Amino acid sequence: MHIDWFVFAAQIFNFLVLMYLLKRFLYGRILKAMDDREAKIAARFAEAQALKEKATEDSEFYETRNQEIAEKTEHLLNEATMAAENRRKELMEQVRAEVDQVKTRWQDMLVREQDAFFHDLRQRAAKQLYATARKALADLADADLEERIVDEFIRRVKTLDEEKSLQIRKATQGKTNQINIQSAFEISEDRQAQIHEALKDRISSSFTIRYLLQPDVVSGIELRVNGHKIAWSLNEYLETLVESLTETLQREAHAA
Amino acid sequence: MEIVLIDQISPDQVIIWSWKFITLNVTILYTWLVMGILLFVSWLATRNLSSELNVSRWQHFLEVVISVIRGEISEMTKKNADAFIPLIGTLFLFICTSNILVVVPGFIAPTSSITTTAALATCVFIAVPYFGIRRTGLLHYLKEYFQPNFIFFPFHVMGEISRTLALTVRLFGNIMSHEKVVGILLLVTPFLFPIVMQALGLLIGVIQAYIFAILSMVYIASALSAEEEVHSHVKKEGMKA
Repeated sequence: MHIDWFVFAAQIFNFLVLMYLLKRFLYGRILKAMDDREAKIAARFAEAQALKEKATEDSEFYETRNQEIAEKTEHLLNEATMAAENRRKELMEQVRAEVDQVKTRWQDMLVREQDAFFHDLRQRAAKQLYATARKALADLADADLEERIVDEFIRRVKTLDEEKSLQIRKATQGKTNQINIQSAFEISEDRQAQIHEALKDRISSSFTIRYLLQPDVVSGIELRVNGHKIAWSLNEYLETLVESLTETLQREAHAA
Repeated sequence: MEIVLIDQISPDQVIIWSWKFITLNVTILYTWLVMGILLFVSWLATRNLSSELNVSRWQHFLEVVISVIRGEISEMTKKNADAFIPLIGTLFLFICTSNILVVVPGFIAPTSSITTTAALATCVFIAVPYFGIRRTGLLHYLKEYFQPNFIFFPFHVMGEISRTLALTVRLFGNIMSHEKVVGILLLVTPFLFPIVMQALGLLIGVIQAYIFAILSMVYIASALSAEEEVHSHVKKEGMKA
């Protein structure tokens, strides 16, 4: 087997040159590129890991916050519901009170109207009754009603019991010894004298009489002295009539 | 059929140009060709080198090759492989490229010349003490030759020489014999059979390149007083060869 030593040396040299060149142009570069890439990938992984951890942290943070917000919302909602309920109750109370007030007012008004109506009714009825009675008396008894009223008044004065006459006497002995006689009609001079006589007999002579024309004293005559009175008028009868009428009307209203 | 001598079938014998003792034969020429191809591919792959995630195909290919070499070396030495990559990687790439190019008609593998394989084995022979001394120191390295005692010194030296010789002859024998076998088969059965043999030759060529590189690494690793695992690997590789 022949070995050419020159070729042998040349091949060693060639190999060393190839080794050097490959080291310079291939291994060095490629290994560096590979290592760089590995480092880069490792860095990316580390970064991704860090980001993942941060994301997890953030996710937990936001989850907690969401929960807090949800709790707060629920709390606020409950509060609002309660406030609304309270407000509703308050308004209901207010409305109820207002309704009550309106009702009371209305009822008052109704009562007032009723009173006014009955007052008016009484007046009219009295007038009517008075006119009717007078006409009837004038037609039937052939005597003037007013005369009959005065007669009745005089009769009453005359039949006055002791206690009452004493009371009136005492009343006339006060500061003003004046007796007021009110009537719905003019009393003639004769009749005035008769009244005076009757009073003088029954009570006392030390007084003055003042006659007043008062249409309110329905078909009647009335003596007033310091809170005491002797009277006859249609009012008494009319009041009975009005009371009975009022009762009937109210019964009717309730039934409706 | 004419009988040819072994001296005459080596590519060393095909001299292109010569002046005094300087001769330019086919072995050197094809060695340059292989070197040129390797350097061209390296240049092609590394001219737009990128450390980004998207890389060119050539770069990817060479990265795979180099990372395989690096992985093998790391597995064997259990140390940083980068110091051994130029030597082991170049041995593998050169032998592998030479052996694969055999399929190209007219190409004669430089590794089928005993001069080339001897030169490569000599490089390994020098590299073993070089790395050993660099890693453990001259004294410690020389001490290994006298283990377990001084009687073993000549055996150690013989071992060193014989394994270098074995490296030389194994590669040369395999490649040269394959070429000769294919040549002879062409005469006997000129059609399909030589093609099958060519395919087998490719396999053998790659395996031989791998074996040469691995054995070189094993020798270096043993000089670095590697662990027991390495010895079992040596045995395994020896059996394969």
